[in-house]
Amino acid sequence: MFYKLVGLRGPLALFLKYGFLGAADAALIWLISAAINKSSFVIASVVTAALIFLNYSFITKGFIPLKFLSVGLIFFAIFVVTPTGYTILMSTYNFKTGNEIGKEAALREIINNGIVADAEGTAYDLLLGKTSNGKYAGILENQVTKELLYADENGVRPAVESEITRDISGYITGANGITTLTDEDFANEDAVITALRFPLGDGSYAAPQGSNVAARLIQSVVYDPVTDQLENTELGITYVDNGNGNFVAKDDPTTRLDPGWRAYSGFDNFKSLFLDEKLRNPFIKVFIWTIAFAFLSVGTTFAVGMALALALQGPIKFRRFYRGFLILPYAIPSFMSILIWRGLFNKDFGAINMLLGLNIDWFDSPWLARFAVILVNLWLGFPYMYLIGSGALQSIPAELEEAASIDGATEKQTFYTIKLPLLLQILGPLLIASFAFNFNNFNIIYLLTGGGPTNAIDGEVAGATDILISYAYKTAFGSNFQDLGLSSAISMVMFVIVGTMSMYTLKKSKVMETL
Amino acid sequence: MSKKPGTNNVWKHALAISLVLFTAFPIYVVIVTSFDPTGGISSSSLLPVKFSFDNYIMLFTDPLIPYWAWMKNSLIIATATAVTSVAIGAAAAFAFSRLRFKGRKVGLKALLLIQVFPSFLSLSAIYVMMEQVFLVAPTFGLGSIWGLYLIYIGGALGVNVWLLKGFLDSIPLELDESARLDGASVPQVFWLIFLPLAAPVLAVIAVLSFIGTFNEFVLASLFLQDVENRTVAVGLQQFVGGQFEATWGPFAAGSIIASIPLVTIFLSMQRFIIGGLTAGATKG
Repeated sequence: MFYKLVGLRGPLALFLKYGFLGAADAALIWLISAAINKSSFVIASVVTAALIFLNYSFITKGFIPLKFLSVGLIFFAIFVVTPTGYTILMSTYNFKTGNEIGKEAALREIINNGIVADAEGTAYDLLLGKTSNGKYAGILENQVTKELLYADENGVRPAVESEITRDISGYITGANGITTLTDEDFANEDAVITALRFPLGDGSYAAPQGSNVAARLIQSVVYDPVTDQLENTELGITYVDNGNGNFVAKDDPTTRLDPGWRAYSGFDNFKSLFLDEKLRNPFIKVFIWTIAFAFLSVGTTFAVGMALALALQGPIKFRRFYRGFLILPYAIPSFMSILIWRGLFNKDFGAINMLLGLNIDWFDSPWLARFAVILVNLWLGFPYMYLIGSGALQSIPAELEEAASIDGATEKQTFYTIKLPLLLQILGPLLIASFAFNFNNFNIIYLLTGGGPTNAIDGEVAGATDILISYAYKTAFGSNFQDLGLSSAISMVMFVIVGTMSMYTLKKSKVMETL
Repeated sequence: MSKKPGTNNVWKHALAISLVLFTAFPIYVVIVTSFDPTGGISSSSLLPVKFSFDNYIMLFTDPLIPYWAWMKNSLIIATATAVTSVAIGAAAAFAFSRLRFKGRKVGLKALLLIQVFPSFLSLSAIYVMMEQVFLVAPTFGLGSIWGLYLIYIGGALGVNVWLLKGFLDSIPLELDESARLDGASVPQVFWLIFLPLAAPVLAVIAVLSFIGTFNEFVLASLFLQDVENRTVAVGLQQFVGGQFEATWGPFAAGSIIASIPLVTIFLSMQRFIIGGLTAGATKG
């Protein structure tokens, strides 16, 4: 009866419901029309699907749970599931610097790069200018045969002396119908001029090489779409698709043509991660440090946090102050704390060196850098462990402790044999969650050490403090070389590890049984 | 049950005091640095030698440092994300905890599993996607805080449902049942019974989500290229993370101001937050 009085079933509720739905619909429809205007049909269809799903879930009478889930599901599907799926797909592709465009674009570029100077090195003196309708045209004089040609974008025709004027030293200075270019024109239209190609009629071109010389270029690489092969007519080499994103010489598969394209490569990224020594060694190094880092982080923060929880458990002076002050690291934005610590560790003006009277470059030595990472993570993490530790301590019945002390156990014995095992059991899931969090703790590595020190001279990507996630990030977004396929493969490995761990925890904590 | 409370407290105080010093050390240095007009991080001594508000004044007057805009961006995006993710999370957790439907178990497990995937490694995929969105609707695409907001709430479902569901499961089912007997509809149970009961937990989740968003750095730094559009995290990082000489003075001052809202929220909601954290622990 009471619920009818509140009136959430009345016109007001309906008004609110359809008001919100209408506003959302209006926004989505606007997006769809904008997408169609820009002929972005993927976005248009995704938004249309979202629109239909949203309205269907709210307007139909049946299936109430969907009304509570639809909005979240739409966002989840678009912004989490789709990119994740795309990443998984990328891990099966050869997709790195040099292999990042589609095959067609790569082919176009190869053919374009296949335009080379002819074997004889034919060169022309050039007078470049524009015709009356603003098109480029020029007079070419073969440097060896002294043959004169009039050239424009359509082709060439023989030219005669009477058409042109020369200066005393014989340079061509003008021609009928051509306005010669000034130095300023050359400067302004440099890019257009270097790209000019005057067809010579036999499949070759004359191309300007500077302001008064041109060279004869020939198309040396020819693509045969039927056999999917490239033929270099100059060198007489046939190139075939190696099935892995590159054209390679038929007789020598190690000779590759650049650029390549992104190509499906199955499990190659995973194979090279585990089998290719150049990738496997850093991967193993990073993997071991990731595990060590996560263990040490959880271990140190738990030990300190738990000790603090024990210390502040009973009545003790200044307890409120300690409690209030010591959770500050948890409250301060962590990206700031990390950056501040980075400054404190600075070799020349850092407070730590000053305090200790040292002059150590902390981030230059692998072990010191690792120590610094663990120390800073301890600072950031012990308050959390203290909070959950003291919560867990309170849940241990006092009778247990009393019984133990009646039986003559010392406080130490009580702690190690009774309390600690119980605590570990209670906190187990949270400790594993914390392990998983640190396993993926990108911020502390990236902001504190940047993964370094890195042996850049040897071309190493992974530094001494890099963990898997920062290694994957560097692999995908490095400044020199980017390998999205390999990076995605590393992500998949991490996914399997963390996923297994989480599933195990959930099984253990029996959450799944009570679903 | 200690027999000699006096001696026993010595190690406790020793531990607590050394942790207080450990905690205080960077906080102390950052405060001193923020008032040091020379701009280095304790350039000559650990004790304050000079005192001025130069760094603070610089933050608000230097036209090259749009600090207010950064703060505003951070607060807007963090608030919006917190509110939206709580709304989405609350509704979804209610459905998963209270309603029985086909695909419920599978859905919950799938949510968890996908959430475990290190989401920001799909960065490149997200980046390409938002580039396309930018062409269609610049307000929601790459470079805008609202585009970033969309990505943040994409993950809201997975994280919060599990946190909230644990709490919801502890509310006795009889409550809903008696309400349903009285003629309440499912939405009414949600609005009138569940929401008031869950309000403290929802507040905790809102705060945690606010803090998380405020702290987020990687996505924000990749997405927000324009100086004006940056969040405070990205903006301040530029002072000290770049190739150039680090300018610690303004960074320290900016950090202190940016920390104030977070520390205030955290300390005022401390009891709820700790309750929320330990709820997971004590249930075992």
